[in-house]
Amino acid sequence: MDNSTVNLRVKSGAVQYRPLALTPGQDLTGYVLSKLGKAILFLMTCSSVFAVLLIFFFVIRESLIFFRDQGLWASVSTNAWYPKSEDPRYGMLALLAGSVYVTLAALAFSVPLGVMAAVFLSDLVSFKVRAVVKPVIEILAAIPSVAYGFFAVMVMAPWMQDHWHFSTGTNALNAAIILSIMALPTIISVAEDSVSSLGRELREASYALGATRFETLFKVVIPAAHSGIIAAIILGMMRAIGETMVVWMASGNASQIPSPWWDLSQSVRTMTATIAGEMGETEHGSIHYGALFAVGVYLLVITLGLNLISEFFLARAKKALGKA
Amino acid sequence: MGQRTRHLLDKAFTLLAGTSVVVLSVVLLLVLGPMIWKGSSAVLFYGTLEFREMQRDLFDRADNESLLQETQDAEQYRADIYDRIESFKKAVAVDLAAMDEQAKEVYQTYSQELKDNNVTGAAYTQARRLARSLRNQFQDTLESKDRNAIQSAMDDILTHERDDAFQDTSFQSLFSMAREFRDTVAKIDLNQSHMYLEELAKVEAILADMLGPRPGDPVHPLIRLRYGATRWDQAQACLKRLNWITVWEEKPLGPADMEDPNQVRALVAVNYPRKERFAGTELEPLFGNVNAHIKDMLRPRLTFYWQYFIDESFNSHYFGGVGPEILGTLVITVLSILFVVPFGVIAAAYLVECAGDNWGVRIIRMCINTLAGVPSIVFGLFGVAFFIMFLLPALGMDSKACILAASLTLAVLTLPVMIRASEEAIRSVPRSYKEGSLALGASGFRTFMTVTLPAALPGILTGVILSLSRVAGETAPVLFTGAVSMGSIPKSVLDPTRTLSYGSYDMAVGDRVAMMVPHNQYGMVVTLVGLILCLNLVAVILRARVFKKLKGH
Repeated sequence: MDNSTVNLRVKSGAVQYRPLALTPGQDLTGYVLSKLGKAILFLMTCSSVFAVLLIFFFVIRESLIFFRDQGLWASVSTNAWYPKSEDPRYGMLALLAGSVYVTLAALAFSVPLGVMAAVFLSDLVSFKVRAVVKPVIEILAAIPSVAYGFFAVMVMAPWMQDHWHFSTGTNALNAAIILSIMALPTIISVAEDSVSSLGRELREASYALGATRFETLFKVVIPAAHSGIIAAIILGMMRAIGETMVVWMASGNASQIPSPWWDLSQSVRTMTATIAGEMGETEHGSIHYGALFAVGVYLLVITLGLNLISEFFLARAKKALGKA
Repeated sequence: MGQRTRHLLDKAFTLLAGTSVVVLSVVLLLVLGPMIWKGSSAVLFYGTLEFREMQRDLFDRADNESLLQETQDAEQYRADIYDRIESFKKAVAVDLAAMDEQAKEVYQTYSQELKDNNVTGAAYTQARRLARSLRNQFQDTLESKDRNAIQSAMDDILTHERDDAFQDTSFQSLFSMAREFRDTVAKIDLNQSHMYLEELAKVEAILADMLGPRPGDPVHPLIRLRYGATRWDQAQACLKRLNWITVWEEKPLGPADMEDPNQVRALVAVNYPRKERFAGTELEPLFGNVNAHIKDMLRPRLTFYWQYFIDESFNSHYFGGVGPEILGTLVITVLSILFVVPFGVIAAAYLVECAGDNWGVRIIRMCINTLAGVPSIVFGLFGVAFFIMFLLPALGMDSKACILAASLTLAVLTLPVMIRASEEAIRSVPRSYKEGSLALGASGFRTFMTVTLPAALPGILTGVILSLSRVAGETAPVLFTGAVSMGSIPKSVLDPTRTLSYGSYDMAVGDRVAMMVPHNQYGMVVTLVGLILCLNLVAVILRARVFKKLKGH
């Protein structure tokens, strides 16, 4: 609040009004208190900064046992993950591949669907239809991940086994389908924001040139909103890669790289699921314990990277909008 | 491109985009529909007599007199079933060796009797010879498995029943044995007595599942084995198992082709009536009896089991409800919200009211976004490493998973949600409110506390409720920080607790027992989803009201 320029002082007989701007000369305690208050507020505002720092510090600290023992790159270059054997191996390549695998497969479903739905909601339907569809998306986003996992195990898995004759119902495809459902609300809402914030001018100019709605959307609107859409996809990706319960319950948890690589009906194991599945049975301070934290560190680094990329694209989208 | 093609493409695209939304709605229905449908049967179902007995024994809630009356009525029908089984069992379990032994004894007593009665000479020899030949014939027949041969042999023996030599002697017991044996053989095929016994054991096991232990049986240490089918659907499943034997047979997929040895074959379930196994025996009518009187034996009645939401559970959720889970979830959720709200609201207020756009604020915003993007399982790791391994011991408390650690972890997780929601709420307060207050001479702090905050409160409350719903559903962060699948109700925040989210996971991937009670599996997850959707509904209504109010001005 910029009160210093206000120099009004109301004078009246008995009542002494306080000055609008605090200066140390007039009211020292008030001045100090207000500065102190602001400092405390700032500190509390910084709580999220502290939280991020603490998370990085403690997760990395616990993983040091592992990195000291195994080195930084050895673990991600092999894919043998046998932490429980007599000659324990901690190759995380298969886990990393599993995470990437289900995430990309999930995006293959959810990106076309999500972008379509976003365009549909922002450009093709009336306000009334939107008012009906929006809650659907909100409910999809609100359903907890464990409920999706439950659905994957109890409904999807037996169904897949019965109808598609897969050898196991809990496989990469199952996890990917459920993950795509979970990523959809994120993708739709961010993409819709960026598509609808483009404004009428671009669209009207395109229509005025005789373009159909399809051409307008595909050749004008989507290219113009591409930064926001990319950000949406990355946010959806983050949701999918960081998801634990669904992949733990639905992906089958076999630490392997599927071969042939396109065979989605095989079981895979992701990084998140490994942490969730093995954390309970490790001893504090063991190499295995450190290895799980190391997986956490890699996850942190991946999500941080993705986050930075998405922020870059969101900032670019904002800037482009400002120019337009 | 021709006009027609362009037009067609346009239409096709509209259709496709519309389909995407339809797909979304269908997906929502597919996910929620079966879950809610099956989950609601945990609360609303046809409960049987066994259910009411279980409720009386475990939870002390029943109308004792009417229940006793019901039990007596049902017992009549059950007794009939049990009697039939007992008599059949006796018939099947013919002990040939014992009969052989008995025949020998009867003969010996008889010859002793002859001596005692001073029968001598030719009469003695004749009687003894006849008795011996009858004994031998009886013993030989015991080795035979041929029904007709046995029957004619026994009839043969029984023609001597009225002989003078055997009148009023102990040898009569051989005749009664022969008669009994003949009747038994008429009823059952001795070749199959082994099979009968095996099948009978299965029938008895199924009946125990259906009707519970028989009266007079010792009380089983496992609670879930003390009662029969507590639900009508379970009873019907038992009945189906009783009526049909399911055999998995290899059948060719598609039309059969005998020529092709490589034809894909699949295991297909084929049902055979169990009754046929007992064809012609006195047990055969039992199946009809059970089918006809199952309602009289179990007395199903539509039950609204609202206590599901407050009841403790027994034998890994075989019986009972989700009371402790709901309690644990609420405690963890509310605690974490209490931790996060002050930080969230103050941070939001600072970001809106005090901060400009400098590098410090940009870093804070980046950290908020980073925090929002951290995978939930990493929060779990953080909770273990920081709260459990570092903070709790530093404060002199036990370093173990507990409610406090879980709720603190969740508080960190929900901080960005809270900040963003509050920020939006505070930002949406019209400028005129604030300017009016400032113009009246109120200080910035006073303006915020008395004008901005009250106006933003409903919006903040919406954020709080959304955070609540997010926290209630999180599973991964509480896996190692405070949730357990079994255990007593926590006494303080330093104990771990059961939660709905972890319980849902545990029931879905859990043991064999959980698989036997799908209604409880679905019931748990539906309770969680229901709780969260209710919270969201409240948030939506609140937001709509705020929107209307702010728009009105």
